[in-house]
Amino acid sequence: MFLLGTVICALSTLICWTMTAVRAHPADSAIISLAAIELYLIVYGIYAGIRQVMGAPITGESWEFWGYIITALMLPVGVFVWAMVDKTRWSNLVMSFVGLVVFVMVYRMEEIWWGTAL
Amino acid sequence: MGNRTLGAGAGAEKTPSKTPRNRGVGTLIITAYGIFAVSAFARAFYQIAPFPQEGKVQFVDAPLALTLSAFAAAVYVVATLALARTSPTAWSVALAAVLIEMAGVIGVGAWTLVQPELFEVATVWGGFGRDYGFIPLILPFVGLFWLLRHRP
Repeated sequence: MFLLGTVICALSTLICWTMTAVRAHPADSAIISLAAIELYLIVYGIYAGIRQVMGAPITGESWEFWGYIITALMLPVGVFVWAMVDKTRWSNLVMSFVGLVVFVMVYRMEEIWWGTAL
Repeated sequence: MGNRTLGAGAGAEKTPSKTPRNRGVGTLIITAYGIFAVSAFARAFYQIAPFPQEGKVQFVDAPLALTLSAFAAAVYVVATLALARTSPTAWSVALAAVLIEMAGVIGVGAWTLVQPELFEVATVWGGFGRDYGFIPLILPFVGLFWLLRHRP
């Protein structure tokens, strides 16, 4: 699950960077890559919810974990809205932040849950 | 936000810099500040809220580090909001916030090296923002550069 998240975040960031170079407006592919991250986070959250309901042990604090998930879920939406305020080349670069930040957040969530992300 | 920025955009046409302060690359800088505002706030909240938890450092144990943590969060929130607004007042507030941030990250960074025992709990600015890839150290310089390029 962590590996999948890493791949999605990395792809999204790369797409956004490429689109910053080649498009002078927010690119569809960059927006879709944000949607992919959001979808991944929803699946990740549902998976974690099932894990928790089934009584799987969590190394860290569960409320810290859920704090991270809720913040992460809001991030692609918030950044998307902000990127659309000014539809220029830079919107793509703004959207590239989501992949980077969500990767770090998923890394932290894995650490909180399993004690280690790897 | 729409109406305010629209009016400011019209005013900005008279100034030599074509792009308004909160547009173009400005959106990027504001996004970076916004992310730090959210993460610093979340971190300070987590650290200060008296959740009964094993191994968690409570406020009474490390008042200095936790106060600095909250202060950093406040600076980022103010900087984000001020950078996103286009009024001359907002420019001054943003400049002040960015300078405080610069002093904070350098000051607290140096302080954590000199007296690490005071900082068992990490703050955003500890070790010059090491925990955050040193971005807290770079960000105020970028912000200052941007503000000076876009004087009201």
